[in-house]
Amino acid sequence: MAEELLEVKNISKAYTGVQALDNVSMSIKRGEIHCLVGENGSGKSTLIKIVAGVVKADEGEIIINGRLYKNLHAIDSIEEGIQVIYQDLSLYPNLSVAENISLNQMVEIKKKFISWKEVKNNARAELSNIGKELDLDVMVEDVSVAEKQLVAICRALTHSARLIIMDEPTSALTKSEIDSLFSVILGLKEKGISTLFISHKISEVLKISEKVTILRDGRKVGEYSTDELDNDKLIFLMTGKKIANSSFKYKGKEHDRKVLLEVRNLSKKGNFEDVSFKLRKGEILGITGLLGSGRTELALSLFGLNKADSGEIYIDGKRVRINSTQDAVKLGISYLPEDRLSQGLFIEQSIGNNIIITILKKILNRLKLISSSKREKSIKRWSEKLDVRAPSLELAVQSLSGGNQQRVVLAKWLATSPKIFILDGPTIGIDIASKSNIHSIVRGLANAGIGIIIISDEIPEVLQNCNRVLVMSEGRVIRKIDDVSDVTEEELFNIVSRKELIKVS
Amino acid sequence: MNTKIKKIFKHNEIYLFLIIIVFSLIITSINPAFLTLENLFDLTKSSAGMGILAIGFFIVLLSGGIDVSFTAIAIAGQYISANVLMASGVDNIFLAFLISCSVGVFLGAVNGIFISIFKLSTLIVTLGTLSAFHGALLAFVGTKAINTAELPDCFKVFGHKNIFMLSRADGTSYGLSVYVLILIGVVIFSWLILKYTMLGRGIYAIGGNRESALRSGFNIVGIQFFIYCYVGFLAGIMGVMHISLLRYSNPMYIVGTELSVIAAVVLGGARITGGTGSILGTLLGVVMISILEKNLVLMGLSSYWHQFFVGLIIIVGVSITSYQNKRRSIESLTFR
Repeated sequence: MAEELLEVKNISKAYTGVQALDNVSMSIKRGEIHCLVGENGSGKSTLIKIVAGVVKADEGEIIINGRLYKNLHAIDSIEEGIQVIYQDLSLYPNLSVAENISLNQMVEIKKKFISWKEVKNNARAELSNIGKELDLDVMVEDVSVAEKQLVAICRALTHSARLIIMDEPTSALTKSEIDSLFSVILGLKEKGISTLFISHKISEVLKISEKVTILRDGRKVGEYSTDELDNDKLIFLMTGKKIANSSFKYKGKEHDRKVLLEVRNLSKKGNFEDVSFKLRKGEILGITGLLGSGRTELALSLFGLNKADSGEIYIDGKRVRINSTQDAVKLGISYLPEDRLSQGLFIEQSIGNNIIITILKKILNRLKLISSSKREKSIKRWSEKLDVRAPSLELAVQSLSGGNQQRVVLAKWLATSPKIFILDGPTIGIDIASKSNIHSIVRGLANAGIGIIIISDEIPEVLQNCNRVLVMSEGRVIRKIDDVSDVTEEELFNIVSRKELIKVS
Repeated sequence: MNTKIKKIFKHNEIYLFLIIIVFSLIITSINPAFLTLENLFDLTKSSAGMGILAIGFFIVLLSGGIDVSFTAIAIAGQYISANVLMASGVDNIFLAFLISCSVGVFLGAVNGIFISIFKLSTLIVTLGTLSAFHGALLAFVGTKAINTAELPDCFKVFGHKNIFMLSRADGTSYGLSVYVLILIGVVIFSWLILKYTMLGRGIYAIGGNRESALRSGFNIVGIQFFIYCYVGFLAGIMGVMHISLLRYSNPMYIVGTELSVIAAVVLGGARITGGTGSILGTLLGVVMISILEKNLVLMGLSSYWHQFFVGLIIIVGVSITSYQNKRRSIESLTFR
């Protein structure tokens, strides 16, 4: 038995003039956990699609289980045991867990009739294979994201998978769920099944993988065994830059700054309880905690999307009610949502239209129609200010990379000249270079006097950018850290995870 | 035992069933003749056709589509088959079914081609074909009503066929129509397809997540083509049942009742966005709408109220689905 499960050799692929992949090679051994990393647009997805047989390479060879393919079709790839779990998981929400696991394999072997006994038995077998238990009869729409992921993994296993490719599997998982996913991946390794893991999160890459392949601008930077790498080196290899981990310095003393926002005893049943804090002009307040700790729910309440049951909110010392997003915007609050694609942008609309959507009233002419000169001016001003890089500002937002999309969302809200800016997961799914760029934009905003709240579960992000931090757990603020220089990453991590500790970073 | 009961109450059907019981009791208190075997037999016979259309529509809805042209297909099947039988002089109900169902499958296939191969919006296509099919029928086949005297005997005989007879106190008799057998046949056949064939599971899969169904290798074009042909086939059956019941045919009939059928299916708990619902629920929805239709007058309301309620049911049904989605999205904190 050959040791190499998959070898891709000298693969090149160009899309209408853009060289997506240039002479890339990679090999994966049986039972190996391999990470593929690179910034957005580095060619990761193209490489996966070529391995899955969905996209054809212009040049190069693919060898799977010792068989050479010049022209790999999707069906060959599946028959050789390669399974891709896409980010959206591709499950059927209206079907049961058991059926979701078993159905696709039955399509593959061209069954005409379905035996429910077989459906359940197969599902049960695959679940016990990865050592998990789920209610087989419950509809997939009623289970958690982590459970959905298990269903997708089990489904991949029904195809007698030898290599499972997971595209950003951890983005919607809590820390303990990620841990559980990792234990599943390690279990697969013991059975000789390889995993190709694609992730943005450096700490995860370093924790789970044995081998790391790094892509940059369609070229392979190198293939390393994980012991040779550390955080800084990996970032350097991915970006080609040394990214300085500078931290935010709050200008001015605690008391000579005006309190912009004050929250007193805010509660909402089942979401959060008795939350009080102040936000001063020019400061960046971090709110961190695990998924489900109430941090996002709290932010939504401040933006009028999740009305609190009791408690008081003061802005500039005046008591206010925020019952709708309109109220919030009028009070000078902006909110950058966690899921920018579905909540922050009109992805089919142009960059320009996305930027001005919040300030339509300000760019009207005397006839109350949109003035095209004012429109152009606003678009130009904000796209330059935030350095949105695009060939044309009339291009649809969906054609931009994650980092540029996030800049468009920022531009759109900054155009309203907010006093308070709440950023929920501002750098989720954004590559490292853009990430530090967005951090510097945010710091610039704080220095210009805006009060900023960053909600994030990335401890380094919080520590580098905030001057004060609230840690939430189960809906309560369990710790207020008034000066971030008092805590180390490790300490903050321990507070956040409340000792349900895992060895990340 | 307790968990069993809990499980039953998890299904939406039980609530509809209870509503039907309560509603029936109310009607019976006004008109004691309602809850008699004779009336129930009669109700079954007159709503069997609607039940068959509803099952067809339910399957379309399950796949994430919408069909509003099935009434035009039913009347086309009916009117063409009756005319062919009259012109040819062959007096055979099986031939009538054969012609009507063939017309149905053919027209369904037209829908199917536009929807599956050209990938057009199901609502727009079938709105268009509703008008086109009906217009073509009136223009090419005719507008003249067929009265009872002209109607071939086989329809009248079929319309009066009973599975068994019971006698009333005064010596006359009544029976349970063969329509019930046809309905049961359609129900069982459709249920088997949906539950035990990959074709049926493919219908659920498309309705749940079309993109995934495509990725996993379901033949979506074939499945959609089948669905619309099957709806046409069922409409063909209903056409013959309808003419045999009324012993009269007017090419203006049936078209215009599509909203009642849609209301019945929505009432039965099928989600308008596709993917969920059950045949049992659909049948209960038909029962509810039929009782409503036949007894509004009895309750002192004009029959126009039926139209009002049908509209109301559709809107409320859709609102409930939408509200549930909203609840779910609030729980997961995604505001869509």
